[in-house]
Amino acid sequence: MKMEETKIIEALCEICGAEPEDLEGDMELFEEGLLDSFGVISLFVELESIFGVKLDPTEVERSVISTPDKLVAFVLEKL
Amino acid sequence: MNLFSGFLFFYVLILLLIPAAVLGLMGKKLKWYGFAVTLAFTVMVFSTPGKAAFIIGFYILQLLLVMSFLAIRNKVSEKWLPYLLALYVVLSVSPIVLAKLNGLLGLHLEFLGVSYMTFRAVQLLIEIRDGFTTNVKILDFTYFLLFFPSVSSGPVDRYRRFLGDINGVQTKEEYWESLQAGVRRLFTGALYNFVIAGLLQQYVLAVLPETFLGNWGYMYGYTVFLFFNFAGYSKMAIGAGYILGVRMPENFNMPFLSHDLKDFWARWHISLSTWLRDYVYTRFVRESLRKKWFKDRHTGSYIGYVLTMMTMGVWHGLDARYLFYGAYHGLLMCLNDVLDNKWKRFKKLKKDPVWEPVLVLITFHIVSFGLLVFSGRIF
Repeated sequence: MKMEETKIIEALCEICGAEPEDLEGDMELFEEGLLDSFGVISLFVELESIFGVKLDPTEVERSVISTPDKLVAFVLEKL
Repeated sequence: MNLFSGFLFFYVLILLLIPAAVLGLMGKKLKWYGFAVTLAFTVMVFSTPGKAAFIIGFYILQLLLVMSFLAIRNKVSEKWLPYLLALYVVLSVSPIVLAKLNGLLGLHLEFLGVSYMTFRAVQLLIEIRDGFTTNVKILDFTYFLLFFPSVSSGPVDRYRRFLGDINGVQTKEEYWESLQAGVRRLFTGALYNFVIAGLLQQYVLAVLPETFLGNWGYMYGYTVFLFFNFAGYSKMAIGAGYILGVRMPENFNMPFLSHDLKDFWARWHISLSTWLRDYVYTRFVRESLRKKWFKDRHTGSYIGYVLTMMTMGVWHGLDARYLFYGAYHGLLMCLNDVLDNKWKRFKKLKKDPVWEPVLVLITFHIVSFGLLVFSGRIF
């Protein structure tokens, strides 16, 4: 699972324009201005191409994917 | 009877909410009682022959669409599913299209509540297409479609969220919290809507002359009036919902403190803007990214914003002012997006103690001018 987690964080960092060490697990990505609507869609499309799973932003409310930890948990559950 | 206006409505509302409060405080499930109250208000509100014919026809159409789509959803290949959904959405929105053309064609048909009920029906169709809803009970669907507090002015609720509330049971302690929150919202909403918006209407909007300066003042007055009028209505609707055990989403969150237009739409008529974000913007942008329609990936986002805001404008009506309002916000959202993407300092300015108030003031004026056009005061 560790490798998948790294890939998710790398994709998130690329979308946010941040370095992995800048992101804390409980950081509120939307409130901090790191993710917006376009960011979420870009991230999900990127993760779909990496893992070959279908991710739908409307499946869950934003609060479910609002921090790196929550996002990782949501995506890992789909794999 | 009109919802949330007049002595009779509030008298009946209080009478019908008291048993709900008693049941809730006893820790009982409110689904059946809430459904009965919704049916009672539906009968009272759609009482004229024209309104009754509309609501019966509308309900049967949406029920048939949802049930038949559910039945054939898994029999159609993924390739054809988007086309089938498009057909169903066109049929589902046909009453609202007729409602918007109603005035233009000189017809006199009655379409009370069509705007918000259409959002509910279309959302459910998309949910079924996405596979998130695989089973729909007629009673649940009926309750969701007709749920009376939000039928005429929102908030726009989502099917799975609504279902979770009506099928769950709050503990006595949880319901006590909901009841207090509901009563508080009912009173605050009434204060906003009847007192503050009412005073603004009577003593500001009604007396301003139609001169340049008068219209300038009207722009501020109408913006503040619309907030108190609309947020007040939303609060009353949410309050009634809480007492019936349905915790609808909040619709406003201090919109005049927005530091840019994206921030504004995250704070103003939130349930509508998030609906449009999820079902128009997200869908379009996702397809554009998956299929690489544009060289620059942000182009899809810009077009997505224009599409989304134009949809919002058309949803309000086909008058020139609504079309302008949609295009105005669409283009300004693009500009906002360009600034976010190309001007790195913009993000920092939004958090800067000196610049943030300046951005708030600019955003307020941009929004107010849009609402001045929306009001129909200048054309």
